[in-house]
Parts: sequence; structure tokens; C-alpha cells
Amino acid sequence: MDTQELLQQALEIVKEWTIEVSQPEENRRDIYIEARDIKPAVKALLIDNHWGYLSAITGLDSPDYQIDEETKERKIDPDKGKLEVLYHFCNRAAIATLRVRLPYTDAEIDSICEMLPSASFYEREAMELIGVNFRNTPITDHLILPENWPAGVYPLRKTFKGLEKKTQG
Amino acid sequence: MEAKQKSEKFIVPIGPQHPALKEPGHFEFTVDGEIVTNATARLGFVHRGMEKGVEDRNWTQGLYLMERVCGICSHVHAMAYALGVEKLANIQAPPRAQAIRELVAELERIHSHLLWLGVAAHEGGFDTLFMFSWRDRETVMDLLETITGNRVNYSANVLGGVKIDINDAQKDALRRGMDFLEERTKHYLKVVTEDETFLGRTRKIGVMTFEEATLLGAIGPTGRASGVQRDVRVDSPYAGYPDFPVNIVTSDAGDLEARFVVRIKELYESYRLVREIVDHLPGGDLTVKVPRRIPEGEVISRVEAPRGELFYFMKSNGTDKPERIKVRTPSLCNWGSVLTTAIGHKLADMPMILAGIDPCFSCNDRLVMINGKKTETQVWDWEDLRQYGIEYYK
Repeated sequence: MDTQELLQQALEIVKEWTIEVSQPEENRRDIYIEARDIKPAVKALLIDNHWGYLSAITGLDSPDYQIDEETKERKIDPDKGKLEVLYHFCNRAAIATLRVRLPYTDAEIDSICEMLPSASFYEREAMELIGVNFRNTPITDHLILPENWPAGVYPLRKTFKGLEKKTQG
Repeated sequence: MEAKQKSEKFIVPIGPQHPALKEPGHFEFTVDGEIVTNATARLGFVHRGMEKGVEDRNWTQGLYLMERVCGICSHVHAMAYALGVEKLANIQAPPRAQAIRELVAELERIHSHLLWLGVAAHEGGFDTLFMFSWRDRETVMDLLETITGNRVNYSANVLGGVKIDINDAQKDALRRGMDFLEERTKHYLKVVTEDETFLGRTRKIGVMTFEEATLLGAIGPTGRASGVQRDVRVDSPYAGYPDFPVNIVTSDAGDLEARFVVRIKELYESYRLVREIVDHLPGGDLTVKVPRRIPEGEVISRVEAPRGELFYFMKSNGTDKPERIKVRTPSLCNWGSVLTTAIGHKLADMPMILAGIDPCFSCNDRLVMINGKKTETQVWDWEDLRQYGIEYYK
């Protein structure tokens, strides 16, 4: 089966949860879904249809930039913008990405570890670095950051510019 | 009394000092007698915040930072990054550059697999094999130094191509090196498949079935040893691989022995590829021009590192700095799968099972400079190092 057929197959499988689809590259489809649908969508793709494998989970901070007219500096509006969680599934050359948009105020999504225990690492990484809460994820200990890292500080958020000296590990 | 003992859990902590390789990682194995019933990991002892760091640097500086994600497979990181930037900018490096990228990548795979062979043999208590394979690894390290000038961070890539060329003397050296290593590798294959004592540590140990490997997303030689047909070089060829294709090496056994056999047979493939590239190196330029500002967009760049698929998600916001670079290294994938399959095995086999995936934890974040004349040791940070570089080349 060639790449385009594989992608078509993936689109069919997750059709009922799809909000919109984009094609960032020839061999890729980004499929936007709601946060509440992540478990059924992953189950359909991976467990029921064995479409490829989960290659990575990317956490993405997409803040709302305001460009200052005079200084041309980009400033972040703290009330707008969103987080995104990208589940990349690879099948040969084809990459299907399930994309979930999450507001800062409610950055929560169901864990998929129940079906896929090996996803624990990706979820822990996204939890610590970008501040997405994975509901019912089995392990919530720090994977990467030090034990004395302050709670609620997420280094890969765009607003993070470094810790105060006194709290530095 | 008996009932109480059964309900108690016994946890054996391993690491962070030297759990398998001489690199830090912490593992907790819950055991019932000799049998492991649960396994968890704690990484991050060498976390350097590179994904954040690269957002504050321009695209060119990012190349040098990402090359330093890993000390063993530095070239594939730089290559994945450079290929990603080229895709974003919608340009292609010339064929000669792509072939040289593949050449260095295969040489790097040879050095990495030989390194692993030694480490894994050492974990199994077979130090003679460790000494021999590391001695032979020097051959390929010398070749890498001959063509790139460096033993570790080769720095062969630039955005839009490569900065090194291969001359006839180097081609001869490469041919001689491959002939020598091929002979040695035949011997190693014989040793790991015939030596009774060593087979006692590897045959039918740490078995990962095809179903487990497929579902859990095992990649690279770890997955291929369980019969999973996954190799980015074959599935989605990049750089020079469309012109110089590679044959996939798999095994159905899924045990530690299969992981040895697959890696050693991959060495033959690498020798063949190096010879082929040297004999049929395309002519032409080494670089094309890349704009300073990279157009807006998102790309995924995947390459096959010695340990498996290396995954880069790159987002550009149209400026001269990246918006987000996400790196997923193959070891992270394989940790997940191997810790899941570790359950049910003997605790005594854990070091070999951990070493079996060829784990990589990455290296230092600073440079320690020991001055030969004076006896003082200095630690330099990024800014000092940068300043030193500027002064040096003035």
C-alpha cells in the first residue's frame, strides 16, 4: 500500500471524531479532534486497526502574540492562546497526527497508557515541560526535571524565561 | 506470617550511577523473589533544556546545539535538523552532499554498533570481546577523524549541504578500513552465535514478541530483532538513501541473541554502503544557499539513528529563530517497550536487558578545560566559549 492510501485509511478510521484535516506535507495529515475523543480515536487507530505505531507526543505552546507597533517586539497576551498536544502515528512513510487544542485554563486530557503502557514516557514529558495534565496517567513522578522544581512552572511554555536565582537547583 | 510476606513489595533501586552504561539513569524494579513484577524509570540526570535553548538561537546556531544532543550519534541529529530546515525552506542539498551525509551516517552506525557490542559483552561478563571490539572500533574512529577532522561531533553538516569533501586518498583509506572490519565482524558473528557461555546469557532471554514490539512501538535494531519491519532508511528514504538503498535486516527470535545478530548483520550492510558510496560518489557542489529567515511552517524530519528512528518536529514562525523543536530520541521509545517487557524476567538479567536496547543518555552540558601549563581547572559556560571562539578566529 502506498503512502497516500495509508493516509486515506487513517482518515477513514478516525472519521467520526474528526473536526478538520490539514496537509502540512505530502506524507502527512494533521487530524484535529476534541480532547474528549482522544481515547476512542487512539483505540480505533492503534488497537482495533493496527495502523502504525505511536512515534511521539509533542506538546506545543501556541500563545497569542501581539506585535508592538513601535518597537516591533512580540508580546504574549496571557489570556489568549492555547496549548496543543500532537500524537504522531507513523506507518512506513505516512504520518498521521491527532491534534488536540487545549485552553490554558483547562489543559487536561485522558491518558492513553491504559491501552499503550509505553506512552507513559511521552505523557510524563509533556506533563512536566509544557503543563498538560493527563488524567489517570499511572506515574506522575518527575521524569526529567529535578525533584525541587517549583510546582506549576513549565519550562517549555513561551512565558517561561528562567527561574529566580534562589530557587535554582 | 506467610500471607503478610506475600503482600509486601520489595523494590530494588538501580542507578542513577552506572545502571547499564556509564551514564546516569535510575530504575526501580519491584521483585517477587527473583522475578521482576514492575519496573519504572527516572531519567533527566543529564537534562540540559536544549529544546528550550534552541528557541533562543538562530537556525544556524541551532544546528550546532542539536548536534550535541548525543555524543554517540551526533551526526544523525545534525542531519535530521538540517534536512528539516531544508524542507521548511523548500530547498534540497546537492546529490554529492546527500551522499556524503549518508556516508558519515553509516560510518557513525559502524562505530556505534561496535561500541554497543563491547558494552553488551562487558555486561554479560565477556570482557575479551569488549576489548577486541573497542580496539577495532578505533579503525572507524580514525576514518571519521580523517574525513571530518573530529572523532565525536563530526560537524559534517551545514544548512543546505555538507562542509567536507572526500578525496582519493580518503577513499582508499575507507576501502581498506571496511575490508579489515568486515573480516573482524565475521569473527564476532561467530562468537556471539556459537560461544556456549555467552549464549547462556542471551539465548531466549528478554524475549519481546512481534505483537508486543509492534504495539509498543519498538524501533531500530530492538524492534527488528523481534521481526518488526521498521527502518526509516527503507520506509521513507532521506539524504542519499534513495540513490544508495539499504537492505533491511530482521530476525524473528526477539531475544537478546537476536539483538546481537541483527546489529552485527547491519554492520555488513553499512560496510557495503560505504564501499558503494565511495565508488559511485556523485559529482557537483557541496552546498546550496539557505535564507537566514526560514518560511513559516511545520515539518517532521525522521532519520534512522543507530538505535532506531529519530524524530524531529520543527515549527518555524517565519523569523531567524525556531518557534519549537521537539526531539524524540530512539532510546525513549525503546525504554517504554523494554520496561514493559521486563516484567516476568529475572532480576539478574536486567543489566543485559537494559544494555540490549543500546540505551543512550546524552552527555555533558559544559566544557571543563584543563590547562596543560597551569594546574587550575576552569569551567566555561556558553558565553565564555563563544567569546573564546570569536577571539581564536579573529
